[in-house]
Amino acid sequence: MTAQRARAADELTIPFSKATLPNGLVVVFSEDHTVPQVVVNIAYDVGSRMERVGRTGFAHLFEHLMFMGTERAPRGTFDGWMEAAGGHNNATTREDLTDYFDIAPSTALPLLLWLEADRMRDLGRLIDAAKLDLQREVVLNERRQSIENRPYGVEELVLPELLWPPGHPYHHPVIGSPADLKAAAVPDVKEFFEKWYDPSNASLVVAGDFDVRETRARIEQWFGSIPTRGTPGRLTETAPPDERTTLTGVVRRTVSDQVELPKVTLAWQSPRHLAPGDAEMDLLASVLSSGKSSRLYRDLVYEKKIAQSVEAMQESQVLGSAFVVTALARPGVDPAKLERALFDEVAKLRAEEVTPEELDRAKNVYEMEFVERLQALPERAVLLNTYQTELGDPGYVQRDLDRYRHAKARDLFDYANKVLSADKVVVLTIAPQPHPEATK
Amino acid sequence: MMLARRASLRRMVVCAAAVLSCGGSRTSSSVSVQAAPAPAPPAVADPLGPRPQSAASRPFLPPAPVVFTTANGITVWLLERHAVPLVACNVAVPFGASSDPKGKAGLAHVTAKMLDEGAGRRGAIDLARELDDLGARLQTEANADSSFVSIAILKRNLDRAFTLFGDVVARPRLDPVELKRVRDLWHNALLQREKDPDATARVVFRVALFGADHPYGHPWDGTPASAKAIGIDEVRAFYAAHWRPDVAKLVCAGDVTRDELTALLTAALGTWKAPATAPPAPVVPAAPQGPWPKWVLVDRADAPQAVIAVIKPGIEASNADLPALWLVNDAIGGSFTSRLNQDLREEHGYTYGARSRFSVSRGPGQVALWANVATDKTGDALAAMLADLRKFAAEGMTDDEIERARAQAREELVGVYESVDGIAGHLAADASLGLEPDYEAKAALTRQQAQRPQLDLLASRFYTPDPSLVVVVGPRSRIEAMVDKFGWPPPEIRDAVGAVVRAR
Repeated sequence: MTAQRARAADELTIPFSKATLPNGLVVVFSEDHTVPQVVVNIAYDVGSRMERVGRTGFAHLFEHLMFMGTERAPRGTFDGWMEAAGGHNNATTREDLTDYFDIAPSTALPLLLWLEADRMRDLGRLIDAAKLDLQREVVLNERRQSIENRPYGVEELVLPELLWPPGHPYHHPVIGSPADLKAAAVPDVKEFFEKWYDPSNASLVVAGDFDVRETRARIEQWFGSIPTRGTPGRLTETAPPDERTTLTGVVRRTVSDQVELPKVTLAWQSPRHLAPGDAEMDLLASVLSSGKSSRLYRDLVYEKKIAQSVEAMQESQVLGSAFVVTALARPGVDPAKLERALFDEVAKLRAEEVTPEELDRAKNVYEMEFVERLQALPERAVLLNTYQTELGDPGYVQRDLDRYRHAKARDLFDYANKVLSADKVVVLTIAPQPHPEATK
Repeated sequence: MMLARRASLRRMVVCAAAVLSCGGSRTSSSVSVQAAPAPAPPAVADPLGPRPQSAASRPFLPPAPVVFTTANGITVWLLERHAVPLVACNVAVPFGASSDPKGKAGLAHVTAKMLDEGAGRRGAIDLARELDDLGARLQTEANADSSFVSIAILKRNLDRAFTLFGDVVARPRLDPVELKRVRDLWHNALLQREKDPDATARVVFRVALFGADHPYGHPWDGTPASAKAIGIDEVRAFYAAHWRPDVAKLVCAGDVTRDELTALLTAALGTWKAPATAPPAPVVPAAPQGPWPKWVLVDRADAPQAVIAVIKPGIEASNADLPALWLVNDAIGGSFTSRLNQDLREEHGYTYGARSRFSVSRGPGQVALWANVATDKTGDALAAMLADLRKFAAEGMTDDEIERARAQAREELVGVYESVDGIAGHLAADASLGLEPDYEAKAALTRQQAQRPQLDLLASRFYTPDPSLVVVVGPRSRIEAMVDKFGWPPPEIRDAVGAVVRAR
């Protein structure tokens, strides 16, 4: 923890300095000597939204391949050397971004940087069919574990195609289709690496207990010498305008799954991450479903007793967000009845401003989560990199929180009316599937 | 949607006996320390140069909390951290699911869940509203051995939040109307659990390993039948007998001094009085005795994956071998480069991840090796897991594995001590199990000094699959044929709540 970030939660800063190398790589340093740890976080500005037709799921499959070894660090050693030094790593792929992070004792920082520079430089040309085939199997198993064999997992597959029109970068799920994953070939991997895994398309954050001067010199040598192939083109022009949904009516779908209780999901297109309205939608989600005193819980779970659970969230994304309201029906409750009750609660947000108490509560819940999250060094690194990637300004933390602090009930009301239309919305129902053989 | 390379980002050292979902896990195969083969001779000097060697990391020894006792008998552990304006506190009583009476599985769980359904002068909704007004995060839960109420708060709201915290701990209403709602929701959640293959495997291995009458033999969150059978009188009696200040431990971490905390406790919990009767003794369950069936199969028709689990009895938290067991577990299935994950995932692609976890519990719990594998690879994956375990049990750990596990143990602790709620939760689990306030530092030292003979003995004792209990959840029609080649007897068939459908 730094003194700057301390005391009253009124002022939040994560100290940093920033440099751009001649090859376009952005580097952000954030020193903090509280514990003898460092984090290296690299964001590549590529996600499932850049995938081409017939290759859905590729950005995520590629992320797995990034651990499959090079000449300097042969297969297995990326993890082996890092874990031997007391570190660990993970990576995430989402629609907008692919994020790699390494966490280790500060003495291992040179190793972390060397491993990351090595794969940024050389990985693509060294991929072969054996590496690809292996990680394809792992990813197919990830798909089975997190979606196919998980109750309600099917929602992750269906919702994107209902909410976003064909051709939209978010129309397909991040995990992709098995057919596309099976079709991926070595030339696809090399092409993807060439196009997107360029230093000019990445930003590197080093956070924690380290010396900036020494580290900067290392980074200039190891990363600065990676040739750039030029910044890849952007697809942002396909984004829908923030305030006009591409939905033209009520889109309904019912799918069956191995679940106990029916689930009803309403989804809208909503303002993109950090755009006007994004924080307001987040606060509206909190008013709807945060805690037992929230509107949906109180009305549907506590009083009417028609829902088992409720959830509302603003899923913020770069090209446009999804505002999602879900509920599980209690046994014997008609999902249509639950759907009407959800729409009734949403209609109230359009009819009347939330109360000052509700707004304060939503703000306090949000601020607490935000401050708690900032305790962890990896979280601070991710946040710096998110701001850098989306805004080109790692120092946005205070202004980010201020979006919430300064939100007004009138604005929530206006955005509820702009976004939460009763006739331009997705309604997805997941119905239990009879399974006669399940427990013989 | 966000997809991660690994299912879970961080491991946790402390694991409730009953909770498989919280154990530790990572291997090291010999490849991890081989020098890289030299790259083809470069035309110019390689700008990256040789792999940097990492100097030894500075040791990390967790600080011990300050300990004191309040006038009404609450033992307090306090670890001050003033860098961030946050405070996390956790009250623990040493009674959990192992104290559930027969036929009332989940009584400790539902009692904990009822604590914040109205307390003091506030009903359930008002209480939730006031907590949210303060941005306070309050949670109540029970695990196998203990029950907890935890709160995390911004310092500026400490006074008001502590009043609510005190009400929840000492003055819950335990209102029959609220119980009816809680019980309905609980019952439905237990029906949902049957659709989840991992949760099903946990329910089934517990009853199959320990037996239905053992204190750890039932799921700590109960069964659909027991959820229907528990009434308000039982909840009130359980609370009165087990939630009392003279057995409670209160752990706080964060931006609060001893004087400030003492004043807060006097105001919020000063009137909490223990009954005149002596408190019950915490339950110390015995090791499971067996015999177990060779394997148990739960049919999940058409499932694209099967859960495969190899289960063995573990050790109790107070056992001097527990810190060293962490290292052994790390090598076989506690880390990404662990033997099981490298073999089943990185060599064969059978799974998204294979892992090993051990319970940290008052009585000997269990060791569980676990993977979700492609259904058509169930036989191959299980054979590979068993072979890896046999080799590990026979040969013990390599020097590299020992070194790496020590480094990983340090890393794990640093992560826990990064946040005030991490500290409070971790220490509250220790306190509720009767461990000393300086346990973490001593255990850390023990791990750093553990030697091969002890580690190899632990590997051979706790990770040999002969004998063990194998649990598989997947399509019966396909799996029985695949396991045929092992020459095992026919499986015991159980249903998703653990009842025997066909004895072995």
